[in-house]
Amino acid sequence: MHRLAPVLHVLGLVILIFSFTMLAPLLTALIAHDAAQYAFDESFAVTLITGFALWLVGRRWRRELKVRDGFLLVLLVWTGLPAFATLPFLIYAPEMGFTDAYFETISGLTTTGATVMSGLDTLPPSLNLWRHLLNWLGGMGIIVLAVAILPLLGIGGRQLLKAELPGPIKDSKLTPRIADTAKLLWAMYAVLTVLCMLALKLAGMSWFDAVCHAFAALSLGGFSTHDASVGYFNSPLIEAVLIVFMLLAALNFVTHFLAFRQRSLTAYRRDPEVAGVLGLVIASCLGISLYIWQAGTYPEFLTALRHVSFNLVSIATDCGFASTDFNTWPMFAPMWMLLLSCITASSGSTGGGLKMIRAVLMFRQGVRELEHQLHPAARLPVKIGSHAVPNQIIFAIQAFVMMYIATIVAMTLVLLASGLDFVSAFSAVIACINNAGPGLNEVGPATNYAGLNDFQTWALAFTMLLGRLELFTVFVLFTRAFWRI
Amino acid sequence: MSQILPVIHILSKVMMLFAFAFVLPLGVSFALDDGAQLAYDEAILITFFSGLVLWLLSRRGKRELQTRDGFLLVVLIWTVLPVYSAIPLLVYLPEMRFTDAYFEAVSGLTATGATVMSGLDSLPPSINIWRTQMHWIGGMGVIVLVVAVLPMLGVGGRQLFKAETPTPMKDSKLTPRMAETAKGLWQVYGLITLICMGALWAGGMNWIDAVVHGFSVMGLGGLSSHDASMGYFDSVLLEFIVMAFALIAAISFSTHFMAFRMRNLLAYRYDSEIRWTFGVLGASILGLTFFLLYKGFYLDFPEALRHAAFNTISVATTLGFATTDYNVWPYFAPMWMLFLSSFIAGSGSTGGGIKMLRAVLLYKQVYRELAKLVHPSATIHTKLGTQPVPAKIIYAVLAFLFIYVASIIIMSFILSASGLDVFTSFTAIVAMVNNTGPGLGQVGPASTYAVLNDFQTWVCSFAMLLGRLEFFTLLVVLTPVFWRK
Repeated sequence: MHRLAPVLHVLGLVILIFSFTMLAPLLTALIAHDAAQYAFDESFAVTLITGFALWLVGRRWRRELKVRDGFLLVLLVWTGLPAFATLPFLIYAPEMGFTDAYFETISGLTTTGATVMSGLDTLPPSLNLWRHLLNWLGGMGIIVLAVAILPLLGIGGRQLLKAELPGPIKDSKLTPRIADTAKLLWAMYAVLTVLCMLALKLAGMSWFDAVCHAFAALSLGGFSTHDASVGYFNSPLIEAVLIVFMLLAALNFVTHFLAFRQRSLTAYRRDPEVAGVLGLVIASCLGISLYIWQAGTYPEFLTALRHVSFNLVSIATDCGFASTDFNTWPMFAPMWMLLLSCITASSGSTGGGLKMIRAVLMFRQGVRELEHQLHPAARLPVKIGSHAVPNQIIFAIQAFVMMYIATIVAMTLVLLASGLDFVSAFSAVIACINNAGPGLNEVGPATNYAGLNDFQTWALAFTMLLGRLELFTVFVLFTRAFWRI
Repeated sequence: MSQILPVIHILSKVMMLFAFAFVLPLGVSFALDDGAQLAYDEAILITFFSGLVLWLLSRRGKRELQTRDGFLLVVLIWTVLPVYSAIPLLVYLPEMRFTDAYFEAVSGLTATGATVMSGLDSLPPSINIWRTQMHWIGGMGVIVLVVAVLPMLGVGGRQLFKAETPTPMKDSKLTPRMAETAKGLWQVYGLITLICMGALWAGGMNWIDAVVHGFSVMGLGGLSSHDASMGYFDSVLLEFIVMAFALIAAISFSTHFMAFRMRNLLAYRYDSEIRWTFGVLGASILGLTFFLLYKGFYLDFPEALRHAAFNTISVATTLGFATTDYNVWPYFAPMWMLFLSSFIAGSGSTGGGIKMLRAVLLYKQVYRELAKLVHPSATIHTKLGTQPVPAKIIYAVLAFLFIYVASIIIMSFILSASGLDVFTSFTAIVAMVNNTGPGLGQVGPASTYAVLNDFQTWVCSFAMLLGRLEFFTLLVVLTPVFWRK
């Protein structure tokens, strides 16, 4: 109890703050006079009181948090908040059941964007806003997680990224540093979100759709207010705006911040990931467009380019909007998009997957081993920019990547054993662990995750969580060393 | 030119030696008068004389080989010998094209066991003997490769295994050490093969089938003289014998050699892989048996156990015989078997995949990373037995695994871009890279690789070689650095 109480104290505070975010949909419900108003009343009250109670109870054991508490806190926040976030759904639509509601909210907060709900177009606006707000809040959480917390915990070679932080980081206490960094980056995130809203409104969306889609785009979540997702608008202009903002969100927010402060673009040039992200996306768009145009899916190259660009960027950056049913394209194309979703997003972005920097380092390490075969005695450092990367970090990254692959294999086998077909199982696991959203076949863009049974739903909810918390944060809790005092 | 001349010189000797391998099928052909004599006559002459010509041409460049030459020699041997091995097939079956014949020969020599031929039951016995004799010769090559050559070249952390090889390894010259190691191992290999053939004959096969399957089992190849593979015999006793010898062949031959020389079984206790291999296999067989019963695929336990045990052991050890079309089992079962095939075989065995030792190291390394998260400043060693494993070797092993996974992904994409469905592409590549044999879907155990087009066949041939030569050996030769002075 001594170990747990200080963590619960902080968790209580987080839940308390989280309850206030329910005021936004509540207000929407009041203005729009939609039927979900009482759902948010009750949810707000329950969440607020629970958070307050936890905070009060844990207060007596208040102390500075240590690294070990950090793992527990992160996990509790990311499993606890989705539980409270289900309340509006459960109160408004009790027939949904806790399993599906939890899947929906964890998909929202991990910015995955996989949904079990259909008939989105007729849902009360407040509930749709709540779904998108979950995306957006999740994005905020991820930025702090990726830029401040995971490096501190040393997950999967994240220490490497410490050096790039803007704030003073020599300090060893958890709280002040995170708060400082977070504030600056959140400001950046909010500014970009507002810009995206305005651009979407100008491009022809209603205000409500613009707000919702901006939330989903910047957090790379991928929820939509329409069953047909972005295909509903059928507007190349809207798609272009979203492509731009999805790509921005897939870059490191620290880099955005530096560029903003220095009022110049040199920060992007120095970022070792930007070139990789843009190069890979552009080359893939052209290549896949040519491929499906050749295969005769679209008679005109420009149509192919339009659809490929939007859907490929959306999946590669782990956003998950869809403008057409890409499941019907020749299989190579969607599989390639899923592969990109594993590596495209940058390390300080709201995207998921391995992250570009780890992919680059793994590639360089592979090349180095090849050279080592020929010159066994040579010392060949792996470099990022002009810095040699310490061996410790390469180890951690290699272990991370292996764990990532092993998790995909294991979860795919679990889903296969539960009766799903191979392509659905494999693509669902990839889409969930990368927090991308739609998979293929039974969970493809034209359908959703509602067809899965309860066991499969829980397995995929767990997969999303694993991906979002970068595996080790969760797995470390299963080691004996963690619980030994 | 002076760089590769000494390599060519050795290659020419190997070719002249290889010409004598045709003597066995030639003798069988004469004895049975099965109509294929001409094929071996020509093969012997062509192989021997092209070897002789090369030998004469390259005589002047003779010198002691260096590490770099080692890579080239290994790659040349494994790509050139299949060309000559294909001669009997091409001569006897003029309608067979070179692409297919080369595929069959590579599949033979890499002990993969994938075939493009059907109507095996009506082929001359000597052709069937030649097909599986390639497995056996390939197995001889593999044992020397993995026990003596690759550790010396330092491929994928193989340095680690140096300690376990029977002969003194301090010597730095290539040839004498290899020769001595090889002789000891080949004696054991030959002896076990004879016992296996005797057992199969006593178990009810005719002597031709016994020879054919004895070769196939010990090389962990998987070609058979019947289209129905082991299902043709439908005999529990024979299946049991095959399982036993497949397991023996999946254990490191240096361990067999030690046990043989010391005349006791202690060596098996010291082998760090055996308990993992048997543990994982035992658990998998039981699990799959219950899975098949639960799914209602088999109605009684003994029958489910019989099929699960045989096919699991056969696929997992990368042998590749089948008693039934496991492609129609619920997907989880064959996928699990393929998954096992990527790591079950021992490091000095004739099996393929990443080998059990690397899998164990990976597991320990990941656990170490988790422990390091809890105790960031602790020094934690990854140990094998009581010995800490040097960091350099763990690097090499992790880089090896990365290249392994990357190769599977890239080649699956190439196959799926060329028009094969995703499931078939993926399982075919896994089966090729692990040198297992049958995949699933269109290339499942009830079908053959004849469905592939020329391009796909070549990709598969390349994949088999890549897997057999443990990636680095082949990839190094393809890098520009290798050819720079």
